[in-house]
Amino acid sequence: MLNALVKWFDDRTGIKDLMNEALYERVPGGARWRYVWGSTLVFTFTLQVITGFMLWTAYSPSTRTAWESVYYIQNEMTLGFLIRGIHHFAAQAMVVLMAIHLVQVVIDGAYKAPRELNFWLGIVLLKIVLGLSLTGYLLPWDQKGYYATQVTTNIMSATPVVGGEVQTLAQGGTEYGHLTLTRFFAMHAGILPALLVAFLALHIYVFRRHGLTVHDEKHAPETTFWPDQVLKDAVACLAVLAVVLLLALFKGAELSAPADPAVKFDAARPEWYFLFLFRFLRFHAVESLGLTFGAIIVPGIIMGIIALMPLTHKFLGEFGHTVNKAFIWLLGAAIVVLTAMAFIEDANDKPHQAALAEAHREGQRTIELASGPDKIPVDGAVALLRRDPFAQGARLFAKHCSSCHRYNGHDGRGTMVVDNNVIAAPTAADLGNFGSREWMKSIIVDFPGHLSAVKNAKWFKDAKAEEAAGNEVEYFDPDNSEMADWSGNVEALTSAENADNLKALVEYLYSEAGHGYKPADEDVTADAADANGVNTELLAVGKAVATEGAWAGDLNGTSCSDCHSGIGEEFVAFSDDDATGYPTLAKYASAEWLADFIRNPGAGRHYGARNRMKAYPAEQISDEELSLLVRWLTGDYLPTKVEDYPNRLEELAATVGQQPEGSQPKEVSADDAATEESATTEPAAADPAGE
Amino acid sequence: MSDKETSDVSAPVDKHENHPSTRRNILVEGLTAILSFLLVAVPSTLGGIFFLDPILRRNKAGSAGGGELEGFIKLAITSDSVPEDGTPVAVTVQSDLDDAWNRFKDVPVGSIWLRKNPDGRILVFNSVCPHLGCSVDYRRNEGDFFCPCHTSSFDLDGQKTNEVPPRAMDTLELLTATNGAVSEGGQELWVKYQNFRRATAEKIVI
Repeated sequence: MLNALVKWFDDRTGIKDLMNEALYERVPGGARWRYVWGSTLVFTFTLQVITGFMLWTAYSPSTRTAWESVYYIQNEMTLGFLIRGIHHFAAQAMVVLMAIHLVQVVIDGAYKAPRELNFWLGIVLLKIVLGLSLTGYLLPWDQKGYYATQVTTNIMSATPVVGGEVQTLAQGGTEYGHLTLTRFFAMHAGILPALLVAFLALHIYVFRRHGLTVHDEKHAPETTFWPDQVLKDAVACLAVLAVVLLLALFKGAELSAPADPAVKFDAARPEWYFLFLFRFLRFHAVESLGLTFGAIIVPGIIMGIIALMPLTHKFLGEFGHTVNKAFIWLLGAAIVVLTAMAFIEDANDKPHQAALAEAHREGQRTIELASGPDKIPVDGAVALLRRDPFAQGARLFAKHCSSCHRYNGHDGRGTMVVDNNVIAAPTAADLGNFGSREWMKSIIVDFPGHLSAVKNAKWFKDAKAEEAAGNEVEYFDPDNSEMADWSGNVEALTSAENADNLKALVEYLYSEAGHGYKPADEDVTADAADANGVNTELLAVGKAVATEGAWAGDLNGTSCSDCHSGIGEEFVAFSDDDATGYPTLAKYASAEWLADFIRNPGAGRHYGARNRMKAYPAEQISDEELSLLVRWLTGDYLPTKVEDYPNRLEELAATVGQQPEGSQPKEVSADDAATEESATTEPAAADPAGE
Repeated sequence: MSDKETSDVSAPVDKHENHPSTRRNILVEGLTAILSFLLVAVPSTLGGIFFLDPILRRNKAGSAGGGELEGFIKLAITSDSVPEDGTPVAVTVQSDLDDAWNRFKDVPVGSIWLRKNPDGRILVFNSVCPHLGCSVDYRRNEGDFFCPCHTSSFDLDGQKTNEVPPRAMDTLELLTATNGAVSEGGQELWVKYQNFRRATAEKIVI
């Protein structure tokens, strides 16, 4: 019955002959491991087709959906991370296997007549595979792929004569946009795979026509492709699959921050297998000969020499073969050396590592936001990131605030602030714990210490000098102020009998500042307030201490409201006429208070005449930027698991100390001499006082 | 059933034996060749022209006439807030961005460096490296502009200081204005934001 069915089918298709021809190819000298490379390539391509089609079912090429759909595949879809991971690593495996296949072909002389044509078909296949990796690198539309591919398409434009047109055609316009993605995707998933299949069919057909290039006929008795060689091929393919799966499972394909043309990316690098070319281009000697030379002529010559190998052998005989082998080994060695150089240099390049960490960090954060309650808005993940206080606040702080203030010792983005190659001393309070319980407590029990950084400021030293010269100067001195006098009662403040009062007061002020995430959704707001962890039982006592002066001992009868107004009230930006000469404590350190303070630090309701902080009008920090900065400083953003920059307060204290006179600041190490995201806009002369 | 019908029709006939070239055959062959060529050429040409759209479209774009500030974008920063000491400031340029079928309203389209000369004149550079399009940084310690991709470096006037970049940093036109009218010494800064071909010695607008 089965036989009859097979015969019926064979009569109509000739399948038996076909299978016979496919499986019973002669393998003189026996099955060998060295013959497996071609099969592993076919297998990896099959992997790419399967995973590629699956990714295609979910991928959406446009500047507002590419990153977003890849995010969705990677983080939301069943096995998405694995499918994308396999595709990502199998692509790299394919390049490696192709290099091995090429070397194998050259050393075994499989390019010699009559197999020249097949060798050239192989080179076409190699170019198609490189084209596939290049086009695939851009498709996630993340910072990494975006900037690296920019470099490649710009190199294209260096092609003599037609460069500009080629670039425009590849990009689908003069700049990157939707059409760049649709075109790259059409190339990646349609045109190039179709070409690859066509050339692969020819490659295998011609290969079968001439048969295997036997390495050593006497190695073993002759056998056939099935099953001896197929077994070895299958084992090799399984090994490739295992490596790809392990990498996909344990390393995973990264998705860095969504591409943003307005946010620069300092770590643009091609995929690692193109790094040798990148490193080659970085030699100044190569550069001085022009980009066309390094990026187009030299690679062209190398490909030319490889393509001419059959002719080299034809005209020079066995010597030609030796030349070819020597060339391929030398090329391989050069690629290994250049790749290693690029890796080692990048590993030791602190700004590069910092830029990578930054892209990784922003990528993580965007993924967090995209997974958040509001998902991704229609204007895309890049807009989501632009509106995120956690991501943007630190940037704004580094740009506008860090020339005087620090954030846990650094500039808000993990880098020490440097002036003339030395770590610069802050001239205003460190805002790393702004509005926290520690912050409130430090103001109460150690006011001079809390604001000691202002003593590093030039205005402070000038004022001191002026005063020493016997002139009348009005300035703020943290050691000599009414608050310092009151706060100077450290023993009374920290005495056992006042412990509960102090704790309650701190809790009250902390509660009034009201830091923490305030989502628009009101149901969530209530939870968020609880999460803030205010001990509500202490608040009544705290308020009484602040307004009525319920202190024990020396402080008895004194209270915050002796001087400060507004305690317990909503913050209102009242005019200077109503000012009392003391900063208002209405919702001190809250978002409303801070936004008003940054705009008008010298107003009577804040520091008045003795203020030294520069005001930031809307021309310098727009309303949106101010809101992002304030929300960052008051912790009002979707809670994050992204690791914060390490606290560098101790490092700062150790290098600049709190004794600016006569101390020897440490020379800056390479990582802190990093390039700047942006220069600060405030002139050095405008030294503000602390909060 | 004749013999002919049971023979193997899948095997090709020997052309020279059975089909002597008659005048009719030559005509049929020629016609078939032309038809076949057309069948391939028509869709390929149409497809090819469609593919060339980005180049063909580029030549169609024209700019509407307008006032002195037509084509200029107002920056968020004012003349006075550019540091007097010549320290460069990075500014993000916000504008409407057309991308194929979308218009994105008031989004960041790029970034520029502004720097005040001692004579008070403000220089504007596009922060895109003229080499291969990475972003140029300001290095405070070295007092220069530097591109971390392929180590292009420039002095603070934008002139190249090594052989990597093909040309100096791209300067952009700047106008000062007051309340939207061009005025010498005005506080508003308006820049003509343009990008230029990378990797060429000449500065070619794209």
